Amino acid sequence: MVMGTELLFMFSPFLVVVFGLLAEKLSISKLREGVAIILSGFSLFSVYQLYAQWQASPSKVLVVTLGGTPPLGACFEIDMLGIYMAFSATLLGLFAVIYSVNYMAHDTRLTEYYTLLSALVVSIVGVSFAGDFFTLFVFWELMGITSYVLVAFRKESWGPIEAGFKYMVMGAVGSTLLLMGIAIVYGMAGTVNFAQISTALRGQPMSLWLYLVFAVLVVGFGIKSAIVPMHTWLPDAHPEAPSPISAMLSGILIETALYGFIRVLYLIYEPGAFSLPITVLAVATMVLANVLALLQQDLKRMLAYSSIAQVGYMLVGLSAGTAFGIQGVLLHVFNHSLMKGLAFLSAGSLIHNANSREIDNMKGLAKTMPITSLTMFVAMMGLGGVPGTNGFISKFILFSSAFGVGLWWLGLLGVLNSALSMAYYLRFLKTLISRPKEAVSGLKEAPSLMLGVTVSMATLVILFGIWPEPLISYASEAARALFNNNYIKVIMP
Amino acid sequence: MANDLVFIGAIFTMVCIGLYCVTQKSMIRILLGVEIILNAGNFAFVYFASYRVIEGFVDPLGQTLALMSIILGGSVIAVGLALIVNAYKQFKTTEVDEMRRLKW
Repeated sequence: MVMGTELLFMFSPFLVVVFGLLAEKLSISKLREGVAIILSGFSLFSVYQLYAQWQASPSKVLVVTLGGTPPLGACFEIDMLGIYMAFSATLLGLFAVIYSVNYMAHDTRLTEYYTLLSALVVSIVGVSFAGDFFTLFVFWELMGITSYVLVAFRKESWGPIEAGFKYMVMGAVGSTLLLMGIAIVYGMAGTVNFAQISTALRGQPMSLWLYLVFAVLVVGFGIKSAIVPMHTWLPDAHPEAPSPISAMLSGILIETALYGFIRVLYLIYEPGAFSLPITVLAVATMVLANVLALLQQDLKRMLAYSSIAQVGYMLVGLSAGTAFGIQGVLLHVFNHSLMKGLAFLSAGSLIHNANSREIDNMKGLAKTMPITSLTMFVAMMGLGGVPGTNGFISKFILFSSAFGVGLWWLGLLGVLNSALSMAYYLRFLKTLISRPKEAVSGLKEAPSLMLGVTVSMATLVILFGIWPEPLISYASEAARALFNNNYIKVIMP
Repeated sequence: MANDLVFIGAIFTMVCIGLYCVTQKSMIRILLGVEIILNAGNFAFVYFASYRVIEGFVDPLGQTLALMSIILGGSVIAVGLALIVNAYKQFKTTEVDEMRRLKW
């Protein structure tokens, strides 16, 4: 048990509000941006400090209780899995905040924007650290509310409002169904603490209620993680949001929902249970998303469909049900957060200049924006899984885990889908370097701060592609945290 | 036993009514549908809590959770209403059909 002063960064949205209002009143330019960047960096550093504490702890899990001991008090369960997710979220959050400084410079209501963005990062960290359903649900709703508002942030035009409303209705129905699932679990186990639920329910013979819980969990978590057929909000919401928010949503939010699903699934059921339904969902998600992505004319919409396809690849690792498969899932979560974040941020720069989201209007942009086009190239190669980028490593582990448990056809389908996805990536890259209809003039490269973010992310994509060992070891440590019962041993000695 | 059937039936009916409302055309009705499903969840918590009696009292945990989720649900509905207000300002309507420009 630790005190958890490292968790103070969770209050950073309040500081952003205070400094933002101060900056507005005294009209100090760039104060609130500076504070937001510093606080994002501080969050990243705090997660590192938590990692150091976790390494030093003998039980390999840190428990922070809030207001009494379980089952009545809420608590944070900080194991390697949570730290891994929190690290991905805070890293991408830092990149998104730095990128926003230039990208959002012409928008109004920036105090709200930075507050909501940092609250989104904090809520994702909260979901990753949650040690009981109560904490999970509170942060889950915070994550939902902040992202609904951020999607509809540019409320002057029709697109964001419609997409935001659609996202809100689907997300709210999903989280209420999740609430229903929590209620059933509470009715069966009499507690909402993860460790106590696990001791009470895991290994029980399957009953009608347990099947019902699984169905509700699939829908509740599946809506947020955009598993086909519950994906319909995503292709609207992600393109309509400002680009840094698209990067956050596609890069980490849908993966956090998947993380919640995996965590709860392994809590209540034996590892490898429900392999068949998850396999069906994985196949449907991969195939449908890739085919629909091929048909898109809108760059961000295409990237949004590609995100759904990536969730499908992650489900392949989950349906394998082994520690190796989960390791692949986690590795792909981090790699995808970098790649898709990079793709959306580069797309943001391109759209900013081309003043259109249509792919056809971006012909010849590579001439005027060489560096952004290069980072886009790296991101798309990574998403397609080309060797030398980090996407190859994680996809290799994901698909070989499917081969390892005898689901060879699933692995093969994954590889074929991956090849299919290259078609739409290459189509876009070809557009970038093709000759424009009329000569473009007046376009210039993105501002240096935006370029700095995209170039450093592209460097990370390549770096983890040729030197993946540390990342693989962290991911395997995180996957092991799901299978050993350290948390149960700490809560119920 | 008879009580259980009544409660479970009530929860199930609330979910069904809510899902029906969500498929309607008016944005306000959709939001009300969300609220009804949410309250079905809260109801389920209170119902399951009544099963667990600790020292002569009903388990407070379920009730606490229901209270908390009422607050959270209220915030979600507030966001939804804000979106509806913005939609009305722009389209002068709250019918979903008339603002369906994105592909559903």
